[in-house]
Amino acid sequence: MTLDVSPAWQALQVHCDAGLGTMAMSQLFKNDRDRTDKFSHEFDDLYVDYSKNRITEETMSLLFDLADQQDLSGWIYKLLSGEKVNDTEDRPALHTALRANHKGVSGFAAQVQDDVDAQFDNMSRIVNKVRSGHWRGFSGKAITDVVNIGVGGSDLGPLMITQSLQTIKSPVNLHFISSIDGTQTSNLLNKLKQETTLFILASKSFTTIDTLSNAETAIDWLEEAIKDKQEIYSQHFIGVSTKPDMMTEWGIPPENQLIFWDWVGGRYSLWSAIGLPIALQIGMDKFRELLEGARIMDEHFGSEPFERNLPVILGLIDIWNINFLNIQKKAILPYDARLKYLPSYLEQLVMESNGKSVNRDGKEVSYKTCPVLWGEVGPNAQHAFYQLLHQGTQKVMCDFFALKIRDDFDASSHTGRNESLKSQHELALANCFAQSRVLMLGDDAIPESLKANFDSPFKHYPGNQPSNTILMKDISPKTLGMLIALYEHKTFVEGVIWEINSFDQWGVELGKLIAKETKAALQDASLAEQFDASTRKLIEKVTS
Amino acid sequence: MKISVFGCELSGLVTAGALAQTGNEVMALPIGIVKVEDLQNGVLPREEPGLASLIKSQYEEERLFFEADWSLGVEYGDVLFLSMPSWNIRKAEDIVDLISSTAEKDLIVVNQSTFPIGTADRFLQTIQQGFSCRGVEAKVAVVSMPEFMSEGSAVKDFTRPDRVVLGGDCQEAIATIRDIMRPFNYTVDQIKVMSTRAAEYTKYAVNALLATRMSLVNELANNAEHFDIDMEQVRQGLGSDGRVGFSYLYPGCGFGGPSFAEDVKTLVGTLESKGYDADLLKTVLSNNESQKEVLFRKAWRYFHNRLQDKTIAIWGLSFKPNTATVDNAPSLRTVEALVAQGAKVVAYDPKGKKAFQRYWGEDRQGVSYVNDMYQALENADALMVLTEWKHFWNPDYERMKSLMAQPVIFDGRNIYDLNVMKSKGFEYFGVGRGQFI
Repeated sequence: MTLDVSPAWQALQVHCDAGLGTMAMSQLFKNDRDRTDKFSHEFDDLYVDYSKNRITEETMSLLFDLADQQDLSGWIYKLLSGEKVNDTEDRPALHTALRANHKGVSGFAAQVQDDVDAQFDNMSRIVNKVRSGHWRGFSGKAITDVVNIGVGGSDLGPLMITQSLQTIKSPVNLHFISSIDGTQTSNLLNKLKQETTLFILASKSFTTIDTLSNAETAIDWLEEAIKDKQEIYSQHFIGVSTKPDMMTEWGIPPENQLIFWDWVGGRYSLWSAIGLPIALQIGMDKFRELLEGARIMDEHFGSEPFERNLPVILGLIDIWNINFLNIQKKAILPYDARLKYLPSYLEQLVMESNGKSVNRDGKEVSYKTCPVLWGEVGPNAQHAFYQLLHQGTQKVMCDFFALKIRDDFDASSHTGRNESLKSQHELALANCFAQSRVLMLGDDAIPESLKANFDSPFKHYPGNQPSNTILMKDISPKTLGMLIALYEHKTFVEGVIWEINSFDQWGVELGKLIAKETKAALQDASLAEQFDASTRKLIEKVTS
Repeated sequence: MKISVFGCELSGLVTAGALAQTGNEVMALPIGIVKVEDLQNGVLPREEPGLASLIKSQYEEERLFFEADWSLGVEYGDVLFLSMPSWNIRKAEDIVDLISSTAEKDLIVVNQSTFPIGTADRFLQTIQQGFSCRGVEAKVAVVSMPEFMSEGSAVKDFTRPDRVVLGGDCQEAIATIRDIMRPFNYTVDQIKVMSTRAAEYTKYAVNALLATRMSLVNELANNAEHFDIDMEQVRQGLGSDGRVGFSYLYPGCGFGGPSFAEDVKTLVGTLESKGYDADLLKTVLSNNESQKEVLFRKAWRYFHNRLQDKTIAIWGLSFKPNTATVDNAPSLRTVEALVAQGAKVVAYDPKGKKAFQRYWGEDRQGVSYVNDMYQALENADALMVLTEWKHFWNPDYERMKSLMAQPVIFDGRNIYDLNVMKSKGFEYFGVGRGQFI
C-alpha cells in the first residue's frame, strides 16, 4: 500500500477536505483563545511558536497517527543507534554520535565514541597550536590567515557557523573558497602572504574536483614563495577527509590529517573535523559547546513524546502544509544579519536530503516531497521578495528566526550607540513579529481606524500564509547547535514520512560525470560531435 | 628641605638616595610589595650599580629613613615625590586622595611616574577640591618631572642628567624644585620648563621616537640580508651622518624592558581609545614583537622547519645587560616559540634566571638553567645570544666548539665579527649580517 492511500494519510485528507484546507487562520485564533499556548513549545534556549499554521488539535493528533503508522519512533531509534538508515550507500548516518560525548548512546553509535574522541583530541592539538601562534609557516612566522577549501558540506556548515559567531574574536582570519571557477581563489590570494597562510583542504571523498582544483591553484601560489615542496605540505596544509590514504598520496603528512568517517554525511559534517574552521575561530571549548547544544536537541528528539518533540512537530507540520494544503515553497527568514548564511545552509540540508521522488523501495512516489526552499536576512528580504509573499499567487510557508538577547553590545550601558543598537534590535523584532502577523491575518491586521486607507484592490492582503517563529535566546555556540540539530532531525522526520532516504544524493552525480566529458570537449572540439546542438553551439562560442 | 618619596622601586630609591645625599631629609615610603624592614637592612628590590651603597650611606647618616604609613609621608614632606611604575596609577590616586583629605600645609607634589597625559592636572584638581571642602587655605602645586632613568645607569642618569624636564604653571613651585635639583644641574643649566602636559608628553614622545628608530633599523637590517649586505657596514655609514648619529642604531632581536615598550603601548592605547591616529606606533610595536622572534625564525629555517628535540643553548635572558629584569624581553617569546616546537632549551644568564623562571613557571617543562655559560653549550645544536653581557664578547671559541654538537650561532646582538667566526669554524648568523637562511 502506498503512503497516500494509507489509513492515516486518508484520515488527514478527509480532515483537510472537511474545511481546514480553506479555513482562515484569523478565524482559528478567534475560535480558540488558548491557541498559542497549545501550539507553542519552549525547550531550553529555544521558544517555537507554530500556532500560525492552519492546524487544530485534531490535525496534530492525526499527524501523530501518521507518524505512528510510518513507525517514526522505530526510525528515530535506528538513526540514533547507528543502524544503516542510508540503505542505498549501505551505511548509518551518525552525525549524532559526533556530539554524544558518550552520553545516551547504544549500538554502533556507542562503538565509535572512542574514535570520535581521538579525532577531537587531534583537532584540539591543531587548533591550540594555530590559535596560540605556534603553528609556523615556512619562514617561521605565525599563521595569521586560514583558508578553508571545500564545497557543499565542507563549506556551508563552517561558513554559516563562523559568520553567525562573528562576535567571538578570532586570533586568525578565516576565509572560505569553494567555487570551482577559481575567481574566489585568485582574488583572495592576491591579498594574502604565503608565509602566514594555512590552507585547510576539506573533502569527504578527497576526489571533489572543485576542491582539488582550488587546492592545486593554492599550491602553485605557495610555490611562488616556497622552494621546499615538503614545507608546503607540512606547514601550509591541513587535510580533513574520510580518506587518509588519499590525503597522504596527495602530499599531506599524517600529523596534518584529520579524519572523519563515511557514516558522517557531508551536509551533516560540521560536527566533525570539518568544523575545524569553527574551532579555529571560537576555540575548542566553545566548539564543544556547539556540540553540546546539538546533543541536547538529540536527546530531546530521542526521548520526548511526539506531542512535545520539536523536530517531530515541525516536520509533521511541513507534511501537512506540503501534502494537504499543497504549499510547495518555504522561506527561511532570520532577523539578525549574522545568520546571513542560514538560508544557504538549510537549502542544502533540506533539498539535498529530501529533494527526491523515489522511495526506499525504488518506486516513484505519487505525492509531493521536498519543497523549494530559499531565504534571506528578513529585514533585507522585506525589500525584495516579501511583495510576493503578501500579494503573489504562490502559497509559501515561512520560518522566522529572532533573538531575545543581542549579545553583541552591552545593553546595560547607556551610551548613545548602545541605545541606538537597542532600538535597532527592537525594530528588528517588531518587523519580524509584524510580518508573520500580516502574513497570517492579511486584511484583518489592518486597524479599524485605517481601513478606509486600504480600500483599493491594490492594497488587498489575502493573508493565510502559515509560518513558524523560532525565538532563540541569543546567538551562542549552544543555541546554534540546538537550532541546526532541530532542522537536521525535522528533515529526517519528513523523509521517514515520505519513505525516502534522506541521506544519499544520487541526483548530483551525473552532472559531475558529464562535466568531465565536457571539459575534454572544451580542449578537443571533435569530442563534442555526439553532443546535442545546444551544448555544441555553447562550446563553439567559448572555444572559437 | 623635608621631602617624602612615595615609591621604593628603582626610580623612587634613586631619587630618595640622591636627594638625601645633597642634604635633604628624606622619608621614603614603599607603595607595593617592598617592605620597610628589607630597605632598612639594605635589601633592595632591584640590583642597580651604585644604588645599594648610596642607600646604605644615606640611611646610616640618618638623612634617609623609611616608613610604611603613607599619612606620615603626607604630614612630613614639604615636597612629595610620586615615583611608581606606570601600571600602579591606582596607588598614586590613593595617595593623592590622602593628601586631598588630610594635608594642612603648603605643599608641592612632584610626579615622576609615567602616567597618562593630563594626570598632573587631574591630581591638582583633586587636591584643591579636598582643600576647599575642608576649608584648608594652604597652597598646593603639582609639578611633572618625568624620570629618564635607564636600568644599569639610573643613579648617574639622575645625578648627572642630560636634561631635567619640569612641567608646571606655578612659578614658585618650579623655583623650589629647581633649587632642589640645583646640585645636579651645576655645570650647564639642563632644566627645561614647560607646561605639565608638555612634560608628560615629552616622556612619551622620547620613547616613541627611540622605539620607532630601533624598529626601522631592524626592518632595514632584516631586508639587508636579502641583498647580501652586512648591516654593520651600513650602520657605520648611517651613524656618521650628523643628522642621524650613532645612538640607538644597532639592529638586534628587539627591545624590551618594564617601562620603555610599556610606555609606548600606553601611548598607543591612549590615542586609540580617543579615536586618534596611532598607525605608525602600532606598526612599530608589532614589528618589534615580531623582531623578538627573529632568531627563532632563523633557527626554524636553518633546521628546515624541524626543531623537535633540538637542543638550543641561550646566552642572556634579561632584556639588557647589567639587569635582572626580563619584562618584555626577547627571551620570553624566543623560548616560548622554541619549546612549542619541541626544542630543549638550556639557558644561562648571570642575573636574569630567577625573574625568567617566575614568568616561565617554576614547574613548567622545556627549559633547564645552568650557572656557567659554557655548560649551556653541552651537546647544543645551536647557540642563541639574546643579551650582550660583557663576558659573552670574547669567549673561548675552541672550548665552545668542542662542547657543541653543531657549531651554529644565532647572534641577536651582533657582538661577534663575521670573519673571526668564519675562521674559527662557526656557522654564524647575526641580525642583518648579509646571510639569509
